[in-house]
Amino acid sequence: MNNTAEKIAPFEIPPIDIPKPTDSITHYQVQQFLHLDAYLLDHNRLAEWLNILAPDLRYFVPVRQTRERVDRDKEFSTTIGHMDDDFQSISMRVHRLVNTKSAWSEDPASRVRRFVSNVSVWETDVDGEYDVNSYLLMTRNRFYQEDYQLLSAERHDRVRRKGETFELVSREVRMDQAVLGMPNLAIFL
Amino acid sequence: MLRKVNPVLSDGTRIEDLFNLETREVSLSTMYDPELYQIEMEKIFTKVWLFLGHTSEIPNSGDYVVRHMGEDEVIVARDRKGDVHVSLNVCPHRGMHICTAESGNAAVHKCIYHGWAFRNDGSFVGAPLEKEKMHGEIYPKEKLGLKKARVQLYHGLIFATWDQDAAPLEEQLGDMKFYYDILFGKTEGGLEVLGPPQRLTINANWKTAGEQSACDGFHTLTLHRSQIDIGNFGGDGDSLDDFAPVMNGINVAEKGNALRCISAASTFRMLIGSEDFDKLSDEERLKKMPPPGIVTDQLFNEMKQRLSPEQLHVVSVAPPQVGGMFPNVNILFIYAPLPDGTLGSGLLIHSINPKAPDKFQWVTWFFAERDTPEEVKQAMRAAAVQTGGTSGLIEQDDSDTWPHMTDAARGGWGRTETLKYQAIGGINRPEGWPDKANVYAGLSKDDAQWHWWQQYHEVMTK
Repeated sequence: MNNTAEKIAPFEIPPIDIPKPTDSITHYQVQQFLHLDAYLLDHNRLAEWLNILAPDLRYFVPVRQTRERVDRDKEFSTTIGHMDDDFQSISMRVHRLVNTKSAWSEDPASRVRRFVSNVSVWETDVDGEYDVNSYLLMTRNRFYQEDYQLLSAERHDRVRRKGETFELVSREVRMDQAVLGMPNLAIFL
Repeated sequence: MLRKVNPVLSDGTRIEDLFNLETREVSLSTMYDPELYQIEMEKIFTKVWLFLGHTSEIPNSGDYVVRHMGEDEVIVARDRKGDVHVSLNVCPHRGMHICTAESGNAAVHKCIYHGWAFRNDGSFVGAPLEKEKMHGEIYPKEKLGLKKARVQLYHGLIFATWDQDAAPLEEQLGDMKFYYDILFGKTEGGLEVLGPPQRLTINANWKTAGEQSACDGFHTLTLHRSQIDIGNFGGDGDSLDDFAPVMNGINVAEKGNALRCISAASTFRMLIGSEDFDKLSDEERLKKMPPPGIVTDQLFNEMKQRLSPEQLHVVSVAPPQVGGMFPNVNILFIYAPLPDGTLGSGLLIHSINPKAPDKFQWVTWFFAERDTPEEVKQAMRAAAVQTGGTSGLIEQDDSDTWPHMTDAARGGWGRTETLKYQAIGGINRPEGWPDKANVYAGLSKDDAQWHWWQQYHEVMTK
């Protein structure tokens, strides 16, 4: 059936400006990788998690500010993050959590679940590397609290093929909150 | 608003009943009591000088940021002449927030509700339909500006108070200014922010973080134990000093302001080696372990010119590194080890903004000397973010502890418990150390924190 109705709008509507995602097999493989990432973190298998991080990792959670719509491109800081890490500093964080008996910010450990959805995968200029966007909804529950600390964000990842699977080359986590709603980020996003 | 000189809580408790000044105890109820909180908002947060940010956040005419004084939002803005103004972010017409963004640039701030407009100095420009007199004819325009706070700049740090009759900030800092000048004023270019501050919410009373800022030293050994275990605080020996060199040094405190000056020799031994640091001259020591970011000859010479010989002695023997300013500023100006074992550093200032009896916002600014080379700033920034603030390996343990104290203070029995500050070291000024503020050399004890509570007591019962 043909819809012959004319689209009427008060201004000229621009075309969608989002590059075409990659093929479905690669998409599936990357999605499985993100599920593995979330599974290892949710189950506190942090030492194992280090395997899926690239040696040249850049991990950044930029600080966000509420700005007027005209300044929206300035919402995320390019300099200050809630986290600003490389592989060495991430492994130090994991070392503290896994190998000391006094990492109190996560002992007793939070009960965390990372819901990862809306995955998009794009080819890049580098063979075997992909840009990946995903949505993250993280619930964190701690001690006696009956409610959840929530964090929703968009993750901008770069992944690199490594054997049968991938490694994480960079992750920028763009939070929806300008003021973080929990007392720390002693966990990974 | 409460206006009583000596307020009494509805159960008959007087402020002084919450203290035992002789045994150095404070009622744990102070960490939650909603009535007490309201009195604090009046007696502290409308009276004292409060830290709001740094001039480098608003470098240009028209730049503004929105900050908090107590629970009030204020606009911190720079006018055309370059002066900094602090105005209540509340429209005097119908109470709408004037600025709904948190930072930006505007010559005029226009309320989106009815269009009343204000200059960066808070003065009223006018309302739309001028000849229809939306603003009425009862008050002249001069009376319709935003409520203004008094502003004082101190080495680029922006302070404000609602008390138009308050003594200058120097009065509040007392002799501690001698030490703060070292932290904030040792170069011509001064400090600059490395970006916008981190902000997060902690479900605890603001004083949990406030009193800890006054040199709580003992918690280093237990709460931050993991730092000792992974070698970030040094420690391969079994003496206390070797375990936690950062606990040793000299606490200085006055009027609720406090700083811990950490032994340079311990830090040096921990990070660089076993060379006999103590035998070196002040200048040699400064050269071997310069303060964070003082890495060029130019900056080094500026520091030598701007600081007195007494101040240079302090920096070379035991530079101030952690502490705070009464009532709600926490300072972390650290010589920090990097994951690769080399010396890093970070300059952080936090403000503790009350939101409710059981909630505060923890705001963290990251600084460097403006004239420090870019690559050093980058390294300082990463080290600082990994140490303090939201995900900092040290501070993530603190922020998870404070909510427990406030939760404990809600309980019928919990509230009858006391906070105890009974580890008394007593005044102990080492030979050659300047006679500035109260000096407590040795292992960090409760003396400096007790000054914080004495100041709180004084302000609350005034």
